[in-house]
Amino acid sequence: MPTGGKKNPVESFEHETVTVKSTISGRDWELPGMWNRMFEQRVIFDYDTAVMEKIVELEGGESLDWCYGCGKCIPVCPVDIVGEYGPRKVHRKVQTGVDLFNDPDLWLCTTCMNCLRVCPKEVDMIQIMPAVREVAVSEGNVPSELQDVFQNTFRYGNALGESPRKRHAWTKGAGVDVKVLPSDPSPVDVLFYVEDYWSYHPRGHDAAQACARIFAALGIDYGILGPEEKTLGDSQRLAGEKGLFEALMEDVVATLDKYEFKRIVTPDPHGFNALVKVYPTYGHEYEVLHYTQLLAPLVDKIEWKSEANYKVTFHDPCYLGRHNGEYDAPRTLLQAIPGVELVEMGRCRENGYCCGGGGGAMWLDSFTGNHTVERLSERRVKEAAEAGADVLAVCCPYEVSRFEDAAKSTGNETLLVKDIVELMDEAMGNGSQA
Amino acid sequence: MSSDRVVVVGGGPGGIEAARGVAGLGLEVTIVEKLERLGGTPISENYAALTPNFEDAEAAMDRMIEAMLALPGVDVRTSSTVSACEGESGDFKVTISGAAGDETIDAGAVILATGFQHFDPGRETQMYGYYEHPDVIALQDLEAMLKDHNVVRPSNGEAPKRVCFVQCVGSRDRHIGNEYCSKVCCGVASKEAIEIRKLLPDCKVFIFYIDMRMYGYWENQIYWPAQEEHHVQYVKGIITEVLKKDGRLLVRGEDTTMGRPMEVLMDLVVLSVGMEPSRGTREMAGVLGIQQNKYGFIEAANPPLDTVTTSREGIYACGAALGPADLEDTISSAGAAAMKAVSLLRSGKTAAASS
Repeated sequence: MPTGGKKNPVESFEHETVTVKSTISGRDWELPGMWNRMFEQRVIFDYDTAVMEKIVELEGGESLDWCYGCGKCIPVCPVDIVGEYGPRKVHRKVQTGVDLFNDPDLWLCTTCMNCLRVCPKEVDMIQIMPAVREVAVSEGNVPSELQDVFQNTFRYGNALGESPRKRHAWTKGAGVDVKVLPSDPSPVDVLFYVEDYWSYHPRGHDAAQACARIFAALGIDYGILGPEEKTLGDSQRLAGEKGLFEALMEDVVATLDKYEFKRIVTPDPHGFNALVKVYPTYGHEYEVLHYTQLLAPLVDKIEWKSEANYKVTFHDPCYLGRHNGEYDAPRTLLQAIPGVELVEMGRCRENGYCCGGGGGAMWLDSFTGNHTVERLSERRVKEAAEAGADVLAVCCPYEVSRFEDAAKSTGNETLLVKDIVELMDEAMGNGSQA
Repeated sequence: MSSDRVVVVGGGPGGIEAARGVAGLGLEVTIVEKLERLGGTPISENYAALTPNFEDAEAAMDRMIEAMLALPGVDVRTSSTVSACEGESGDFKVTISGAAGDETIDAGAVILATGFQHFDPGRETQMYGYYEHPDVIALQDLEAMLKDHNVVRPSNGEAPKRVCFVQCVGSRDRHIGNEYCSKVCCGVASKEAIEIRKLLPDCKVFIFYIDMRMYGYWENQIYWPAQEEHHVQYVKGIITEVLKKDGRLLVRGEDTTMGRPMEVLMDLVVLSVGMEPSRGTREMAGVLGIQQNKYGFIEAANPPLDTVTTSREGIYACGAALGPADLEDTISSAGAAAMKAVSLLRSGKTAAASS
């Protein structure tokens, strides 16, 4: 009979290999550590409640021990499909004494919110994960790649560590004038908050330039903050850097105070979420639209010049759809484009599958890769290909690069990934590919 | 000669409610209780607070008794039992045996409300060491401690730091012969868990279960608050055995959702024992000549649409004499039994009236 009484830490052999003699050929086989889990401690010797108590004491962590184990979250958790992780499992692990503050599970959640959508007990991972991560961050327990992003954001005001002076470099290739408010501070209708990935990523530039041409064609009175724009930092907040988020907010609010505008429009659902849901809790209220919401009511005014003959499927960004309830504006735009045939993937709208970039996971690709068999973006790209689409349309700046990489790595190179504005721009005849 | 009197056998919540119902409808009622005091199991087993509303059990029973005694025509016989019941509906001769000897009274109908007894966890195949380990106790043992506001390990009188409940002891078990679910133990264990957490905030409380069976509102009246406000830890997986180790108790079972064996030390193990027919229920079935089911509970004649009529005309049963029942069930079926007994006597269709 085994004896208990002391908690023996589970020893993981995951990264080691083991040699096993084949019973068929007699040859030695090197097996990776994942086959080696059977050598882990099997018996649970203790239910150390200290970690659970610490978590439910945190502001935001309260609901973790509400879980009654129904498991509804598991089939809709985008991570569990590619790895051993899911909200119910997190609850159980913590209940058995696993220290979530020091566990890889802490960084696998993309805060996509599909679990909360189906949870009968309203166990809220969108609150729990940032709360626990905040403690981990304060204790220095952060995957290094994420720590780099925090430092970049702190130092440069953007996640990519680029120079603020280059923030509006994309405007040069737009082919239309873009008003940069620090140079021309006259009042505008729309303050266009470009955010990091349209400002700095080469594929983001394509979308930003397409968007500028559409705005020009529609006569939208707008301006950008250019070198004064800093990221809104919502994903940094969800990754545990609430302090950084608050510091950014102070700067952002001070900058916004300098200019006259009626509303803020952003292409980034993450920044959108911060402005719509988080800023007001600090007393900062603005009228905010996602760019699809600005453009959708204007589609009848668009003069289309050519057809964009594609079978298009649309990926709902978690932070535009589930988090903020906007499913129709992007579809209105796509369906207005001549030539576009819209086909839906199995998981769409409320049940849309996460691209893997939310909640800081955008910056944890290597880390997450060590704990999953496949990237979420790869999973999603396969689904788009299965739907028979030529184009995977997106409207979140994180997604173009994620899905293009995934299309290549899964052998779906023929699947094009385009922002909705790129497709619109093309059919409006003023795009680079027109 | 027909009688309009109803004899209620058993002075617990079911019997009191049945007597109150009969008297309230204007008939005379004799309530017979074996013990010296009315109140039934909540009193005799020292329940602290009722499930689900945490009302003081003694106060609640006294309130019921007072309401019954305030009605005219209520004859209370404590320290008494029914030893014979001759005749037929409308004209029973019921013999009541007490300290003063036997007395036979006329009655038109009889309501049996003799309830349940807690499953004896020392019986048969259980491996929980109820009689070997002083710190292995049952729900009602903990009730008695809660009533004294003094929850301790019986072995050393110290406050426990870790307590676990083991669900389904003596229920849902083919081996033991009790295949039924006892209905109340999930709720009662959760209620007691909350009480421990309130009394001993540093004490960790675990409930090991097969599946939590919270009927209706008990889900959010007891289970959810236990989990969400009092941080009782529910672990799916039942305990197979309890062993002694280093002066504490080692509970061994499977943590089923982790798919791993578990061996965890506890200071106090509470067995959530189920319901069995009380001795009174078994004996009275014989005295009254009514059918029992295979478990010894009284067989209802035509369930589910008639839950209180027994196999002998004019004799009804209510509460846990019919099978596992919570207080709400018991009170409801007591009312139904009173209504049916009075209806029968008022209808003029008793066997005695027809002959």
